[in-house]
Amino acid sequence: MKRNLSLFTLLLVILTSCSSEPTLQKFYVEHGSSPGYMTVDIAPNFIGTEHMKLTRDQEEALKSLHKFNVLVYQTDSLDVTHKKYNVEKDKVKSLVKNEYEELMKMNDGKSGASISTKGEGEHIDEFVVFVHNEDNGFGVVRVLGDDMTPTNVLTIAGLLQESKLNMAQFKPLKDLMAKKK
Amino acid sequence: MKNLILALLFTFIPALFYAQVTAFDKFEDKTGVETVIVNKKMFQLMGSVRTDGKDKADYQQYLDLIKKLDYLKVYRTTNAKYSADMKATVATYLKSNPLEELMRINEGGRNIKIYVKSGKSASQVRELLMFMDGGKMETVVMSLTGNFDLSEISLLTDKMNLPGGNELNKASKKK
Repeated sequence: MKRNLSLFTLLLVILTSCSSEPTLQKFYVEHGSSPGYMTVDIAPNFIGTEHMKLTRDQEEALKSLHKFNVLVYQTDSLDVTHKKYNVEKDKVKSLVKNEYEELMKMNDGKSGASISTKGEGEHIDEFVVFVHNEDNGFGVVRVLGDDMTPTNVLTIAGLLQESKLNMAQFKPLKDLMAKKK
Repeated sequence: MKNLILALLFTFIPALFYAQVTAFDKFEDKTGVETVIVNKKMFQLMGSVRTDGKDKADYQQYLDLIKKLDYLKVYRTTNAKYSADMKATVATYLKSNPLEELMRINEGGRNIKIYVKSGKSASQVRELLMFMDGGKMETVVMSLTGNFDLSEISLLTDKMNLPGGNELNKASKKK
């Protein structure tokens, strides 16, 4: 009995630490070209900082940022009851919930947004922003980096405001929005 | 065998901390109910921002307070069914978790009740629950947990746009 129990715990540990678990990363790869889905990678150089004098803090903050991975799902216009949308949305939602630590969320039933992170303490390696609206679809932005502290994040937010954004990389996203209208 | 029990215990302890299921969670994801939830990690991150510049002293006070917060949950609705449900949920919640009524305000047809769970000293707050019965207007339930001083509430209502900020301001000055 005792042996069985310890075997069982061992199995439990193996199962829970097993890498075949579905992750958000895998979901991106598997669904990127599925109907309704689209993925975009954005490099941090879209923040046009070439012509700016950066302070050391700002440079450091930029260095902590590696890339943005964006996944977009568009609601099918035939999907009037939002059934398909809800199935896909719930898949992503549970992935985010299992893999990341949630910081905050807002929701009004029809649409909502959440921000989650992965990393230890204030040394964050990944932010996940999840935005959904049943009429348009949903989007997941993975902000990948290394040791993005809250201070760094604020610095980057400040930079975004001052710099001339290179919007070319966002073009696919913009097109998507335009098509919707 | 003892080790096993210990090991199991340790695996489940975190679940106890994270699964802070409150009575109001059922209102999430309901069409017609607006929810805002801020978790402890967010408060910790916000609180650890380094600040400098002119408004440092002012800001630092705010950051220190933020670190003391655990959860903020706000639910709003104008739907009559959910309003009634919220009212009932607050009543049952208060039965199982006796909170002290801090104040009750009747203003323009809105009935506002503020409850607190005190910590070690009288002004130390572990939990603050506000219920605004909107009647035909918006009904709001706000729950804020942590370990903070009642007098600090006004700081929060100033910086974050909390519902019922005026009422909370009055409440914090009363004690």
